[in-house]
Amino acid sequence: MDNNNCQMYEDEIQLLQEEIKLLTEKYEDNQQESTFFSDEEILMSMKSLQEECQGESTSDLKAQLESLETDLSFLMKFTGIQLRSHSKKTVEKAGNKTVQKHRLSGNCHSLSFQLEFQLLEMQSKESMSAVVTDLSIVMGSGEDSDMSKFVSSTEEHRNLLTFFRNLSTYAEWCEHRRCTFLHFK
Amino acid sequence: GLFAHLELLEARAYKAAVKQEEMEQQKEKLARLRARVQELRLQRDELRAKLDLQRKRELGKEGAVLDPAQSSARAVVEWKIKKLKSMLQIFYLTGISGKLTKRGVCFCISTAYEGTYLDSYHLDLLTKPEVQIYRHSLPIFIPLQQIAKKFLQTDIRRFLAVLSDHLNAYMGRRYQADQLQERFSEQLEGTLQRNSLCNLLVFNYKVSSQSETFPFHARLLYGDPCCSLPTQVLVSC
Repeated sequence: MDNNNCQMYEDEIQLLQEEIKLLTEKYEDNQQESTFFSDEEILMSMKSLQEECQGESTSDLKAQLESLETDLSFLMKFTGIQLRSHSKKTVEKAGNKTVQKHRLSGNCHSLSFQLEFQLLEMQSKESMSAVVTDLSIVMGSGEDSDMSKFVSSTEEHRNLLTFFRNLSTYAEWCEHRRCTFLHFK
Repeated sequence: GLFAHLELLEARAYKAAVKQEEMEQQKEKLARLRARVQELRLQRDELRAKLDLQRKRELGKEGAVLDPAQSSARAVVEWKIKKLKSMLQIFYLTGISGKLTKRGVCFCISTAYEGTYLDSYHLDLLTKPEVQIYRHSLPIFIPLQQIAKKFLQTDIRRFLAVLSDHLNAYMGRRYQADQLQERFSEQLEGTLQRNSLCNLLVFNYKVSSQSETFPFHARLLYGDPCCSLPTQVLVSC
């Protein structure tokens, strides 16, 4: 009889721990996604953190922050893809499957874009797989017919990667053309 | 006689003591478990309440902004770190991402076919005294040296773009061949033959129509290494 009770309690403990894990993740995700801090607030926080506690953990955080910022700024400069704003919202999270809705805006040289896409991620034992399940693209300045054909075909096939690769190449050639014409002026 | 009797009593007393101790341990264990369950239930209820509050706040104000005074400086910095990591993940989705290293850059070329992201490849470059490939994870049938000879020194962007074209086309062909095997296994006869670059596919398949099946033989040649569509198709029966 007592063994049964023990087992019952142990089962409930297991269930509660799993539920707590899920709830905590959901709460933290929501916090992350619905909050926004400006650059000044970040700088202030970094300063006050360093004043408060001089220690290894704060210098680790500072190093991590700086390394991430340098990598990001390098990538934007190198690829020409400037990401101005990005927000994401978790639409569904169950087991090892996560669906998030992303909003992205930026420009590649002179071409500006606004994207909305839905990304389905599944975590298996060895790896994480990602699939774009919905994609909508709005190009900024002037849509010529070639560009709009490209955009609608990309949207239809949810070719997010192809969009960026082609955008990058196209934008670079536009730059070359602009520079060449300037040369002749 | 007496000794044996005493031994018997001692044994009985010992057994009774052991049993008593077991029962007490069992009671303690049960009490501990019960307390743990209470503790966890409380934690779970608190989290549910917090989430509820979050939801209400979100519905009340569009894009609720947390008062910075409420969040600790550490939480703010951690928020920014998470945000930067998300942005870097977006770069992964664009096809070319990377990370600065002590002696250069380690690029990551990701591949995808129609929205499904596939394998990604790494290219570790040194930038001094000149740009050179330190190590990479590219498959050997991708003409890396050829492409490097042409573009690496003069135009790294172009170098990566061409590599990305080759890799994406290869992964696209491979993915399509895998999907063919997986989703049309009923119609395929025998095994699908392919080479490592997946630019030559040979297979037999059957088409059924009105209870009759017709066998076909197909040969797909993908002449352009940067394209995931065949340039030549031969179907015979």
